[in-house]
Parts: sequence; C-alpha cells; structure tokens
Amino acid sequence: MGEHSFLPGHRHGGGVLDRLGEGLLAALRHGLEADDLARRPGLLQGLDPRVKLAGALALMLMAVWVRTLPVLAALLGLAAGLALVSQVPLARLMRQVWLGVLAFTGLLALPALVLVPGRVLFHLPLLSWPVTLQGLRSAAFLVGRAETSASYGLLLILCTPWPHLLKSLRLLRVPLVLVVILGMTHRYIFLLLHSAVDLVEARRSRAVGPLPPRERRRLVTGAAGELLGRALDLGGEAHLAMIARGFGGEIHLLDDFRLRTRDGAALAGLALTLVAAWWWGGR
Amino acid sequence: MTALFDLNDVHYAYRDTPALTGLSLAVEAGRRVALLGANGSGKSTLLRVLDGLYFPDSGTVTAFGAPLTRQALADEATAFAFRRRVGYVFQNADIQLFNPTVFDELAFGPLQLGLPRAEIRHKVEEALVRFDLAALRDRAPHRLSGGEKKRVALASVLILEPDVLLMDEPTAALDPRSAGEIIALLAALQDSGRTVITATHDLDSLAAIADLAVVLQDGRVAAQGPVADILADHALLARTRLLKPHADLR
Repeated sequence: MGEHSFLPGHRHGGGVLDRLGEGLLAALRHGLEADDLARRPGLLQGLDPRVKLAGALALMLMAVWVRTLPVLAALLGLAAGLALVSQVPLARLMRQVWLGVLAFTGLLALPALVLVPGRVLFHLPLLSWPVTLQGLRSAAFLVGRAETSASYGLLLILCTPWPHLLKSLRLLRVPLVLVVILGMTHRYIFLLLHSAVDLVEARRSRAVGPLPPRERRRLVTGAAGELLGRALDLGGEAHLAMIARGFGGEIHLLDDFRLRTRDGAALAGLALTLVAAWWWGGR
Repeated sequence: MTALFDLNDVHYAYRDTPALTGLSLAVEAGRRVALLGANGSGKSTLLRVLDGLYFPDSGTVTAFGAPLTRQALADEATAFAFRRRVGYVFQNADIQLFNPTVFDELAFGPLQLGLPRAEIRHKVEEALVRFDLAALRDRAPHRLSGGEKKRVALASVLILEPDVLLMDEPTAALDPRSAGEIIALLAALQDSGRTVITATHDLDSLAAIADLAVVLQDGRVAAQGPVADILADHALLARTRLLKPHADLR
C-alpha cells in the first residue's frame, strides 16, 4: 500500500475525492488483511478447506435447527472459541458480525417481544405493551441463530484463502464455470481497485480547492465510465491470454487437496458436536 | 532452413487505425528474433497475428507449413497442436495472470491442453523450482511484485515447452534487477533450440536475447539483419525513433 499517498494533510480536491480514495483504499486494505488472516498459523487455517466448508455448513444448519437456547449459546461460544484459537480477533467478529447482525435481526425480532402471546414478564414503559416470555424466547432464537450462522460463515471466509474456498465449492457441485468466474472476478477486482485508486490519485494531484457539486458529479460519473472502459479492455485482453494458453471454452481445475490426520480429528470433533447438539438441542 | 512463420503482405487495422500495412516476414525455426520499433509500429499486433489471436484483414500467414487462419484454428485438434507449440508472454503480466494462485497459474495451460494430472503436478513443481517461485506457490498474483509477476508469466508459458516463444516487451516497467533476471532466463533459452521472437525497446540487452533483429516502422518491416549490424546502423535507428545502444553493448 506504500505506493499510494492518501495521507492526512494531503488534500487538494475537496471531500469527494478524499472519500472516494479512502473508500477504495479501505476496500483494498480489507481484502489484503483478510488474505493475511487466512494464512496465519491457526487451528482452522490448518484444516483442509473441504472439511471447513462442510463443517461450517453443518454447524450453520444445526444452529438453525436447535430448539434450546443453551445449546444455541454453546454453538455461538464454540464459534468464539474457534476464532480465538485461529487468531481471529473477537473484536473483528464483534465489529463485522455480531453488532451488525444484532442491529438488523434485532429490529426484525422486536415485534415478536410484544406480539407473541404468553406469560407476561413486564410492560414496556410509556406504551404499556406486554413483553412475554415466549416473545423473548422467539426474539432470542432469531438473533442467536443469525449470530451463530453468520459467525461460522465469517470464520470460514477469514480462515480460508479465497482460492481454496472456491475450489472446495466444487465439493457442493457448484458448476465449474461459476467457480472459475468467481475466481477471476476476485482476481480482477483487485486490479480494477488499483486502477481506480490511480485514477483518483491522478485527479487529486491536479485538483486545487473544493469542487462545486456539479463538477463533483461529473468527476464521479467520468471515473465510473473510465473504469468501465478499462474493465472491458481488461476482459478482452484476459480472454486473449486464456486462448493463447489453450482455453477453448471448457475450464479445467486441478484440485490438490489432501485429507490429513488433523482433518480426520476435526471431522470426528464435528460429528461429536453435531450429535451432542442434536441430543441436547432437540427438545 | 525452412520458414516456421511466413507472412506475406499482411494488413491489419483496429477499426480505422491501421496497425500492419503490407508486412512480409519469414522466421526460420530455431532463430532468436527481436522485433524493434517505436510505439505504434505494429510489434504487439504482429505477435498476436503470429499467435493466431488476430487474423489479417488481407494477406497470408503460414505457420509450421500450414495456413494460420480462423477456420484452421476452429478445428480443435489443430488449435491444440498450435497452442502446444506456440507460447505467448503478454506485455502486461496482470492480464496474463488470471488464476487465483501461482500454482494454479502454472497448471492452467497444461490443464487446458489435457495433459495427465500426475504429469501436470510434476511439471508445476519443477517449474516452481526452476523459476524460483516455490515460496510463492500459494500467493495470489495480485500480491506479487512486477518482477515476480513476469517470472510467473514466463513460467506459465514455458511449462508447456513450446517450440516457439513469443514475448512482448519482457522487461517493460521492471526495475534493473528484475529486468536482469528476465534477460538471464531468456538468454538461458539460447541452447534450447526454440524459436524466440521478442518485441522490445531494450537495445541494451538485445545481443543477449536475439541474433536477428527486425525493425518495424508504420506497420511494415523497415529493415532486418544480424543484431550487431542493426545496432551499428545509427541512421536507421534514428529514422525509426529507436534509442542508440550503449557503446559497450554494440
């Protein structure tokens, strides 16, 4: 990231260029951080991506299925524990999942507190609407299931290099062409982000003073058009490069995953967890 | 020697902008040819015509004794044989590196050409060591330096062991050390018997990578001859807007 000069105090072109540049850089930084996290030494990072994908999906489904709150809480606790032993900071989980999911599903769950009939626990101040035990349980299940599922989803993404995750999607019989398109999209998004940063940087270096609103709109639409043009050029050139190396319309991939002892142990642990959750969580 | 590529009165235009204007050229097997010319002289277009990516508006191109046409390459067996024999390293490595990891990048060509999986794995492992890329095998190409990207691009083509290697500005935008590494890799191909056609502006390293120079101007061949003779022709270099080489590399 050192080649770019979005530094405090380096401001010429008014807020729109700064915000655009900072947003683009944040996107790049976010992608690179996620990539670094996936390559750290940690429990989840050391497992076969197929095991992680299957495990995350199974645990997500179990979180949706369980009917007791303590088991749901235990599954969420397990996700937090896995994050800790995989060097994923809990603050990151909190910021990226827990708070966002709580805000979103919390809003959806609010009506359940007062609309679900049952034993009244207390009345809301001012409105005097009754909050029922059953309503509270329904809201807790909704939020808990969403938090737990999203936590496993994020752990899977953060602890697995994107290319490996894509390859393991083949396990789920996701069409090969879709997997390849996703991979290329991931690859070229970074290239386009770099292009966009260069574009904004070049414009900022020539901007003096704040821009009037009309000029700002023209700048943003112009940059979008230029990027679209570059994306089209890039697509055409990449296609030629593929043809030059033998691509004839049919994609082939080399899956070089190998199951090791620790993957077997992880699968056994997963099976035990699922059985336990089914046993205690199904009542 | 027989001509590997034979181009006769080739014209090619990007919509209304002519790129090749009556170009004729014969390239013999095993030669190391440098295509020289200023920006816009037609070097990259010529490479793409030689690789069967562009087809001339008029004129004829023959490769390995057979016409190189859109119809010919539409035949799967012909395309397979041609792509197996001709490798092309693009100027912009970012365009060429579209796979998620370096390992996948090297495996892409052999996979498309249907080589056995075990052989592909062996070839990739070998190439990773040969091109000093073993430490980068799981890295995403967008996280590599310019020199590393170029090495991966070169490795991804040479892994197919093509008879002909086409290279577009292999040292463009590289720092001196990275450029030196690429030149060393190309110079090492000298004894491989491959035909190597390189479009370049880099007159300093010309003698290391080519023995025949073809100078292009305005989409056609302005001159061709041994590298030493072309480098000594200052009037020609000045007329075709090429820099003069350093005295000790003439």
